[in-house]
Amino acid sequence: MDRRAILDELKKVLSPYTENKELLESIDDKTNLVKDLKINSANLVDIIIDAEAKYNIEIDFDSAEKIVTVGNCIDAIAEKIK
Amino acid sequence: MRTAAHRNRVASTGNDIVALIATDKERTSRSRFYSRILSAEEQTLYRQQWSPEELPFDHYVWLMWSIKESVYKYSSRIDREPVFSPLKIPVHRLDPPSGDEFYKGITGYGPGTLYSRSIIRDGAIVTAVSGDEDFEDTRWGFTVIGSSNYADQSMAVRTLALNELQAVFPRRGLRIEKACSGFPVLLEGKTPLDIPLSLAHHDRYVAYSFRLPSNSSSYKKSAAN
Repeated sequence: MDRRAILDELKKVLSPYTENKELLESIDDKTNLVKDLKINSANLVDIIIDAEAKYNIEIDFDSAEKIVTVGNCIDAIAEKIK
Repeated sequence: MRTAAHRNRVASTGNDIVALIATDKERTSRSRFYSRILSAEEQTLYRQQWSPEELPFDHYVWLMWSIKESVYKYSSRIDREPVFSPLKIPVHRLDPPSGDEFYKGITGYGPGTLYSRSIIRDGAIVTAVSGDEDFEDTRWGFTVIGSSNYADQSMAVRTLALNELQAVFPRRGLRIEKACSGFPVLLEGKTPLDIPLSLAHHDRYVAYSFRLPSNSSSYKKSAAN
């Protein structure tokens, strides 16, 4: 699965946690989950767990703490499914 | 490297609020979820010190989260470390309310010690942290608003914080802007003031904390937390 395909699926994971659906459609690697998408930090663990369930992977703690941007998210997922 | 003494001397502030209605009790209680927030020691602390009647486990998880998030905000202002890793912010101690409604914690980040105060009220968990155990110069509070829309939260939290600031720091033209670093900054006109401010919102709740300079005699001390 390439980064584009992961990104498309990731949008579905992020959707319940952001009000800004318009911005969600145009996110890229640099989009900050909290600052740009206005996702509440209290939902970051939810996002990790939802991504784990979606891809049937386990994102380790070290990878999880680096997840600040959409690109970090894709990196963490890509690393586990390759 | 910053020393512990330096960390406690530098004025900063950090706060957080969790709307319990916006949390998932069942999910929070799963090991897969809470083990990303609580260390093994913090899980043991709950089993040894608390009963579910006294503090339900999901409330404990979010209380600890709010402490850690507050510490992160406090420390980020000093060290500019943008990584939030709950497991790397240990809460060494959490005491139940005693004669007041504050859960009091002792926590840290790196070599520094910070003190937390939290309340669970009106469906929210609210926390502020300070380098001063007595919270002498730290003011904090929260309110419930009529909307969970981001723009409404943002406006309401600024209004709340400015009203509270005006009560202890009566100046004209106080306003809050977000700095490039992402922190809220208090300005008097165009001049940034040395009063660190932290803002938080979740669902229909907004909260603030700020710390006044401890050596200033020009502030009204009437506004208690």
